[in-house]
Parts: sequence; C-alpha cells; structure tokens
Amino acid sequence: MQASRARLFKEYKEVQREKSADPDIQLVCDDSNIFKWTALIKGPSETPFEGGVFQLAFAVPEQYPLQPPQVRFLTKIFHPNVHFKTGEICLDILKNAWSPAWTLQSVCRAIIALMAHPEPDSPLNCDSGNLLRSGDIRGYQSMAKMYTRLAAMPKKG
Amino acid sequence: MQNKEESGASSEFDDWANFGDDDIMQQQSDIRAEEAHKVPFVADKEPLSALASEYQSGSPILLEKIKILGEQYAAIRRTRGDGNCFFRSFMFSYLEHILESQDKAEVDRIKAKVEECRKTLQSLGYADFTFEDFFALFLEQLESVLQEHESSISHDELIIRSRDQSVSDYVVMFFRFVTSGEIRKRSEFFEPFILGLTNATVEQFCKSSVEPMGEESDHVHITALSDALGVPIRVVYLDRSSCDSGGASINHHDFIPASGDVPNATSVSTETETISPFITLLYRPGHYDILYPK
Repeated sequence: MQASRARLFKEYKEVQREKSADPDIQLVCDDSNIFKWTALIKGPSETPFEGGVFQLAFAVPEQYPLQPPQVRFLTKIFHPNVHFKTGEICLDILKNAWSPAWTLQSVCRAIIALMAHPEPDSPLNCDSGNLLRSGDIRGYQSMAKMYTRLAAMPKKG
Repeated sequence: MQNKEESGASSEFDDWANFGDDDIMQQQSDIRAEEAHKVPFVADKEPLSALASEYQSGSPILLEKIKILGEQYAAIRRTRGDGNCFFRSFMFSYLEHILESQDKAEVDRIKAKVEECRKTLQSLGYADFTFEDFFALFLEQLESVLQEHESSISHDELIIRSRDQSVSDYVVMFFRFVTSGEIRKRSEFFEPFILGLTNATVEQFCKSSVEPMGEESDHVHITALSDALGVPIRVVYLDRSSCDSGGASINHHDFIPASGDVPNATSVSTETETISPFITLLYRPGHYDILYPK
C-alpha cells in the first residue's frame, strides 16, 4: 500500500514535469484518491479514430506496480479489442505481460498503439473483429468512424 | 466463485457470457493463493531423504540419482512453483550466504555491480522511478544481513522476509530488471540463444518473458543474472535421463560470470575449474529449489 502510493506519487510528479512531452495524452489524477486516474487520449491519425478524444478510467490496485492497473474506455469505441458495453480492453500488458517497467503514461501509449493496430484474432468485440477478419476493411472503418463521430467528438451546434 | 457454482444452470450460462479477462485473472490469483498454502515462497530446510520419499513409488532412475545426490548434498530447501522459483532461490541462497559468511568484500563487490546495472537500465531508457524502489529494497536486504548495523537481521528474520510478499516479490522483481538490462545490453550475444527458445526479438523476449512476474526462467535468464551480478551459480540437473553406460549419474552445469571479477577468485586465472559457486540449485524439469552441499 505504502509502496504503491510512493510509486504513484513519483508518476504524478513525472506527469506534471512532462506535461507537454506527449500532446496526445492528458493524464489526470483524481483530486482525492491517488489510486484513481483518468486520461484523455487522441485517436491516432490515419485511423478511423482520428479527430476523436477518448476518455480512459484507471483503477490502480494496492499491489501496484507488481500488478497492472485496471483500465477501461469510458468513451464508446468500436474496436475489436475493446468490449463495446463495458469498455474493457484486451491488451497483454494489462494482463499477464504486465511488469513494473510500464507506467500509466506508457500504458496510454500502448493503448493508442492498439487503436492503430487492432488484433482481430483475440476480439472482445466480435462484430468488429469479424469485419476485419473477413477482410471488410471498409465496413470496419466506417463503423469505427461513425462511433468516433457519435461518441468521441464535440457535438456541433 | 462460490456464488457462481451455487446458481442455477441457466444463470451459470449467463455468467460464462460475462466471464471477462478480469474474472480469469481473479481465478488465476485464487489458484495461486491456494498453492501458497502448500509451499511458502521459501520453505524450511529438509534433509535430502525428503526428496527420495517424494519419488518412493516413482522412477527407479530418479531414486538412484537421488542416492548419488546424497553423496554430495545434505539438504534441500524448496521454493514455491510460481514461475519465480529461480529468482526466489537465488535471492534466498545469496542472502543466506552473506548472512553466514559475513563476507564484506563480496557485499562491496556486488554493490558496485548493482550500480553498473542501474546505469545499464538508465542507458537503455528506463525511467529511474520504474526500477529504483526495487533496487533500494535489495540493497536494504543486503545491508541487513551484515551483522554490523542496528538493522541487522537473524537467519529466522531472513526466512520471514523471504516469505513476506512485499519484500520477496520486490527482490525477485529487482533480479528481473537486472536480468533484462543485461540481456538487452548484450543483445548480440543473447540473440541466438533467444531465437533457440522462441521466435521473438531480444526486446520482445525481455518484455514478455523476463520482466513480467511469474515468467519462468531458462538458461538465458541464469546466464544473464550471473553475468550481471558476477555471481557464479551451479545448477544440478535431476531428470529421468540415463547415460549409455547404464549407470545413473548426476550432471551439473556451472554458470560462471563472463567478466573476470568473480567473488573468491584469488587469481585472474582463466581456469573456470578453480571457481566453485556458493549458490547451488536443484533443477527438475520446470522447477528450481536450493541445494545444500555436505
């Protein structure tokens, strides 16, 4: 508990120091609870998520950094490795490939990389995965783009 | 878990539909917790006969080999089979050696090596805050086994700490960082060995098979750790294989650090025969325990 708090405090200071280093990620710690974080990440360019801003919720366990943070999309997203209803993310580093060498910031980078490079063979969203697996890239992209517009962009007017 | 079992068949089916990765991880940690009751991270020392009784109704080759093992070794200390057994065995064996030998020169030597490892990680681009807590905890243990401080600890306390997850897992993780740093620093040397194990790149191998807790160790990990810290390690192999001549024999392999400055090396002789490792591990396919010579 004490160790995780100390580590998170270091990450907090690092995030403050490096605020401008990665303009695609805005990581914010909850005012009253260092184990709760949110992040706003920009959809990577040349993907159907371009132009969208996606919100992630981090719940950090007491065993952190020996155990990974739990991360979910709060913003609706159509992606093979993200559960459409719960926002749960299927990413190896959040499961068995986790190590303390990762940080909340680098997890955000890994999630952005996953958005650009979906893994349709281990889908949490089967509809999305099936479109990609059947080679219907256009179908996947238009669905993903539609949800980006609906959920991840500011409403016009 | 209990609730799921008790609920009716139809709702159980619903549960499976909602059985997410988090549930699987929860289940895995439940299984680990169950295992934890059977063997602590580091168990008590047992006479070698305990090993023989384990195979009483098993392979005669193994029983023969255990008998031969008994000529040289007196005792075994088991470690938990949680994928960290090599690092955990190394941790306990090394700290126990320092506690018993009070070899201050060796402590100074390894501290210098630890500083080199720190620089290696920094030059590889690891942020200090990701590994420094693990380094600090190992150095703290090292200081406390030397009997010259107020914080010095007894052998019993060493065992208690080795069984305390908040100490034990942090030291294991320290070794994982050191091992990963060494492999990546000398990636050209390690690449062919890694290609022999998996078709991953050196970096992928370190990210997926060295740094995560619970990933089992192979000769690549042992070589890298031994080299990085300059500590020789003897691994005694116990398996069903028998040699052509018919008689059983026990093989061992000494991992001798690549660099010249190994502990207790009185001369700069290149003869590896003269170096006798103070850490001896028993390898049975998939698992490492600690062995004590007579």
